[in-house]
Amino acid sequence: MADWIPNILTLMTLSPLLGIFFLMLIDARDHKRLRLMAMVTSLATFALAIVAAVDFSRAADAADRWDAFHLKSTTAWLGDSVGGVVDIAYRVGVDGISLSLVLLTAFLMPLVVWGSFSSIRERVREYFILLLLLEVGMLGVFCALDLFLFYVCFEFTLVPLYFIIGIWGGPQRRKAANKFFIYTLTGSVLMFAAILFLAHHAYVTNGIGVFTLDILKLTAMGQQYLIPYNVQWWLFLAFAAGFAIKVPFFPVHTWLPLAHTEAPTAGSVILAGVLLKLGTYGFLRLSLPILPDASVRFAPMMATLAVIGIIYGALCAWVQTDVKKLVAYSSVSHLGFCMLGMFSMKMAGATGSVLYMLNHGLSTGALFLVIGMVYERYHTREMSRIGGLAKPMPWMAFFLVFFTLSSIGLPGLNGFIGEFLVLLGTAASGTVSDNLSAGRLGFGYAAAAALGIIFGAVYMLLMCRRVLFGPVVEPPGTPDASQGLPPDLNLRERFILAPLAIVCVVLGVWPKPLIETIQPAIMANVFQVKQDLQYAGETDAVAPEVIFAVDAIEAADDNDGERSS
Amino acid sequence: MFESFWRPTLTDLYWFSPELALVGTLVTLLIAPMIVGRSSRNATWIVVLGTLVTILLSWKVGGDVRSAGLSGLAPPEAAGMLILDNMSVYFKIVLMVFMLGVALLWSIGSAKKEKHAEEFLILLVGSALGMILMAGTLNLLMIIIAIELASLPSYAIVAFNKRNRRSAEASLKYVIFGGISSAIMLYGMSLLYGLYHTLDFARIAYGVVADLQAFAAVDVSSVAQSVDASMPAAQNTVAIGVALACFLAGIFFKIAAVPFHFWCPDVFEGAQIEVTTWLSVSSKSAAIVLLLRLVDTFSSATGAFPGGASLSALTGLAWGLGIVAAVTCTWGNFAAYRQNNVKRLFAYSSIAHAGYMMMAASVFVHPDSPLDYSPIAAVLVYILIYVFMNLGAFGVAAMVVWRSGNENIDAFHGLGRRAPWLAIPMLCCLVSLVGLPPFAGFIGKIWILLSLGASGGGLYWGLVIVAVLNTLVSLFFYLRIVKAMFFVDDGQESFTPPISGLAMVNVCAVVLVLMGTLFIEAPRRKAEFYASNLFRPAILKGGMSHAENAAIDATQGELLRLTEGVARIEGERNRRSDRQAQTP
Repeated sequence: MADWIPNILTLMTLSPLLGIFFLMLIDARDHKRLRLMAMVTSLATFALAIVAAVDFSRAADAADRWDAFHLKSTTAWLGDSVGGVVDIAYRVGVDGISLSLVLLTAFLMPLVVWGSFSSIRERVREYFILLLLLEVGMLGVFCALDLFLFYVCFEFTLVPLYFIIGIWGGPQRRKAANKFFIYTLTGSVLMFAAILFLAHHAYVTNGIGVFTLDILKLTAMGQQYLIPYNVQWWLFLAFAAGFAIKVPFFPVHTWLPLAHTEAPTAGSVILAGVLLKLGTYGFLRLSLPILPDASVRFAPMMATLAVIGIIYGALCAWVQTDVKKLVAYSSVSHLGFCMLGMFSMKMAGATGSVLYMLNHGLSTGALFLVIGMVYERYHTREMSRIGGLAKPMPWMAFFLVFFTLSSIGLPGLNGFIGEFLVLLGTAASGTVSDNLSAGRLGFGYAAAAALGIIFGAVYMLLMCRRVLFGPVVEPPGTPDASQGLPPDLNLRERFILAPLAIVCVVLGVWPKPLIETIQPAIMANVFQVKQDLQYAGETDAVAPEVIFAVDAIEAADDNDGERSS
Repeated sequence: MFESFWRPTLTDLYWFSPELALVGTLVTLLIAPMIVGRSSRNATWIVVLGTLVTILLSWKVGGDVRSAGLSGLAPPEAAGMLILDNMSVYFKIVLMVFMLGVALLWSIGSAKKEKHAEEFLILLVGSALGMILMAGTLNLLMIIIAIELASLPSYAIVAFNKRNRRSAEASLKYVIFGGISSAIMLYGMSLLYGLYHTLDFARIAYGVVADLQAFAAVDVSSVAQSVDASMPAAQNTVAIGVALACFLAGIFFKIAAVPFHFWCPDVFEGAQIEVTTWLSVSSKSAAIVLLLRLVDTFSSATGAFPGGASLSALTGLAWGLGIVAAVTCTWGNFAAYRQNNVKRLFAYSSIAHAGYMMMAASVFVHPDSPLDYSPIAAVLVYILIYVFMNLGAFGVAAMVVWRSGNENIDAFHGLGRRAPWLAIPMLCCLVSLVGLPPFAGFIGKIWILLSLGASGGGLYWGLVIVAVLNTLVSLFFYLRIVKAMFFVDDGQESFTPPISGLAMVNVCAVVLVLMGTLFIEAPRRKAEFYASNLFRPAILKGGMSHAENAAIDATQGELLRLTEGVARIEGERNRRSDRQAQTP
C-alpha cells in the first residue's frame, strides 16, 4: 500500500467521524437525508472492515502467520515513543480474535442504524452522531495495541451510550443512564490505577526500563515471569473490577437489566452485541496473557462466579414478564459461558468463548431488534399484554423463533458451536492437552453450566409461546399504524433481520474458517505468547530489549561501577 | 554603604519588563479617565493591550533561557527576591491569557452597566501582579508582599457589587480569613528567620535539610547513651515543624486547601461570576506554583549534600503535603455533591482540582534523579488545561446566569435545546473536569498520576488510588449539570448568547478536545521545557565556597560539620579520580 494511505485500521476506526462531519452539515429537520447519511457512513465503515479483513488474510498468508498481529501501525502520540522513557503511542493492529470482533461491530452497525429509521423521530441528527461516535470508540478498543489507546476508547464508549440511553430511552431512562455510567466508571478507574502500575512495573523491570503501555511488550513481560505473583494478584483484581462490571459478571450485573430495558432498541443491540464484549475481550486480551499466574490462581473463583451467573441469570430470566428484561437477563447468563470458557485455560474453551461472544452479539442483538419492532407496534413489552402474535405477524414470528433457537444453541445454528466448545474446554480443563498445562476447572463446572442451557431453553421457549402462540392478545388501540408501519414486518425490517439470520446459519453449519482464524491467535497471543513472534515486522527500536538483554545488565553494572568509584 | 544596594541596570529592567508592563497598565488605567474620560470600553482596551504587551514581553524575555534571581538588599540575606526562570515566564503567560479571557467575559457581561470600570480593572490587574510576583520569588519578604498584593485587591473586588449583601458578607469573610492566615504565615516566617537568620528560602531549606538530616542520623542507641547530645536537634525539629506548618498555612489559604478552604465557597458565591472565574484559577495556581518552587528548593537542598542527605529526611514534609492534598481533593468532591448553586459547586470543584495539583506538588524529586516526568511539568500542564476547562465552564455558566438571573442548577434545564452551542462546550468542559478521555482533563490527570507513580512509594501509590477514586466521586456532581442540560426540559425559552461569548467557550472546548487527542505530547514537552532549568541558588547546588558556607553557618555547628565532611568526601573523590586517570 502506498505510504500516504494511512493504516486501514485507523481509516476504518475514524471513518465514522467523517460521516459525523457531514451529518453536522445537513439540516437537522431533514430526517430523510440524515438517515441516509448515517446509513452510508456505517456501510462505508463496514466496507472498510471487510477490506481490513481481506488485507489481514493476505498479510497472514504472505507471512504464513495466522497467529500474529497484522496491519500494525505505530505513531508517536505521547511520550517519546522511540528510545525515551515514556513509551505510549498510537498502536493499532489486529489478530484473529480482535478482527472477528471488529467485523461483528461493523456488521451490526448498519443494521442498527437502519433499524432506528422508524423508531427515532426526534433529535435525529444528535442520535446518529452519538451512534457513530460510539462506533469509533468500540472499533478503537478492538484495534488498540496500546493500553492507553485501549483505555481512552474503553472510556469513550461510555459518554455516547449515556446520552443514547438518557435521551431516547424509556420512562426510567435517567436512572438507567446514571446507573450505567457510574457502575462502569467505578470499575474502570480502578483499572486505570492498575494500568499505571503495570506501566511503572515495566519501567522498574530490568531489561525493559521504559514506562510502556505497549500491550505486546507488557504481554511479553507477563509471559516471561517478570511480574511477581503478588503484584499480579492485585493487578488481576483491579483489571477484573473494570472488565467484570462491563461483562457484566455475576455480583456486579445489576446495572444491565435496567440499562437494557430503558435503552432504545439501537442502544440495547449495541450494548448486548458489542459493548459487553469489551469486558470479555479485555479479560482475554489483557488479564489472561499479562497476568498468567494470577489468572490460573483466580480461575476457580471466576468460574464459580460465572456458573452462578449462568444459573442465576437464567432463573431471573425465567420469571420476567418484560420481554426485553428477559433477554437482558439471558445476556447475564450467556456472558457467564464466555467467562467460563476462557478460564478453562484450554484451547477449546477459549475458542468457544470467542465464538460465544460473536454468536451472542448476533442472536441477542437480533432478538432485541425483533422486540423493538414489536414494541413500535404495540408500545408494550409485557408478556401479559401481548400474545398470539404469530397470527397477525407471521414474519416476526419466524424471526423470533429462529433467533430464539439460535440463542438457546440448537445444533446447526451458531449458538451451539460456542456452547459446545466452552463446555468441552471446561470439562477437559484438568487435562494436559494442546501443549497447555492443566487448568483448574473440571467436569463439575461444565455440568452446572449445562444446567444453565436447559434453563435457557425453558425460558426462551416459554417467552416464544406466550408472545407468539395462543389466542391473540393486543393492547387496545394497537397495532399502532400512525407511523406508517404495517401490522407485520415491512420489507426494510425483514432486510435488517435476514442478514443476521443468514450469518447465524452459516456460522452454525460451517464455522471452520472462523475457528481457524481464532484458534492460532488464542494459542499465540493469549496462552503461550511466543516471544520471537512479538516483534516481527515492528519498527520499534526499543523492542528487542524486552528479552533479558545481557548488555542492559552490563550497562547497569557499569553505572554502578561509576557511582561507587 | 551604597555599594551594597542594588541598582538596576537596563538589562535587569529588561528582564522584569513584563511586571513593569503590568505596572504601566495600572498607571495608565489610573490616568486615562482624566484624559479621555471614564468609559468601560476604553478601560477594557487598555487592559487588553497591557496584557498583550505583557505576554509578548514575557515571551521575548523567556525566549532566551535564563535562570536568575535578583536581590534587592545585601545579597546573602535577600537572594531570590525576584526570580526570572522558565517557570515564572510560563506562569506569566498562562495567567495573562487567562486574564484576557476573564476581561472578555467581563466586557460582555457586567461591564455594560458598570460605572466604575477602571477601578474594577485596576483591582483585577493589581491582583494579577501579586500572583505573578508570588510565582517568581524565593524570599520570605517578597512572598508575604506578593501574597498580600494578590489578596488585598481580591478582597475589594469580591465586594465590588456594593449593593449586594452577599458580596459584602463574602468579602468580609475573605478579609478575616486572609488576615488570620497571613498572621499565621508571618509567625511561621519569623520562626524561620529566628532559626536560620536569613530571608532567603534557599538557605532556610538548606538549613532545614541539614537539621532534619542530623536528627535522622541520631540513632536510638546513641540517644540512649547520651540524651543531651540529641536534644538540640530534637528541639530544632519541633521548631522547624511548627515554623513550616505556619508558613505553609498562608499558602494553603491561597490554594484553598482543606482546612483553609472555608472562605472559598462563600466568596465564590458572593462575588460576581467574572470575579469567581478569576479567583478559581489564578489565586490557586499562583500559590501552587509557589508551593512547587518551595518543594523544589527543599528537594534540591538535599542535592547539596553529596552522598549524604537523602530525600528521606523530608519524608514528614512529603506526607504532610500529600495528606493535605488527598483530604483537599476528597473533601472538595464530596462537598460539591450537595450544592445547588452553580458557583458554590464550582468552588468545591476548584478545591478538588487544587487537591489534584497539590498531590503532584508533594512529590520530592532528588535533583540528580534521571526521572523525566517531573511533577512540576505535570502541574504546569494541568494549570494550562485547568485554565481552559474553567474558562469554558464559567463562561457558559455566566451566560446562563445572566440570561436567567438564577444561579441554581435548574437554570441549566433544557440547555441542550435552548442553546446547543453553549451546552456542547459545557459538556466538553464538564467531562474534561471529571477527567475522562478523550478530553484534556484526562491527559492532565495522567501526567500527575504518572509523576506520582514514577516516584513510587506507598504514599504516592496511595495518592494515585485516592485520585482515581475521586474521579469517580466527582462524576456525580458534574453529571448533575449534564443531566440538567440534556435530560430535563422544563420549557424555558431558547436564547442566543452574545457571539463573542459563544466564540470563547467553543474555542475552549475545541482546545480541550485537541489537547486530549491529537496534541497530547506538545503541551507536556513545552511544560517540560518550562519546568527545566529552575532557579536554584548556588547554595543548593553544593557549589559554594567553603568560606561562604562558613560565614553563613557560623551559628550552626552541625551544618558546618556536615559541609566540612562534604569537603573531605569531595577531596577523597578527586584524589581517586586522579588516581584512576593515572592508571589507564
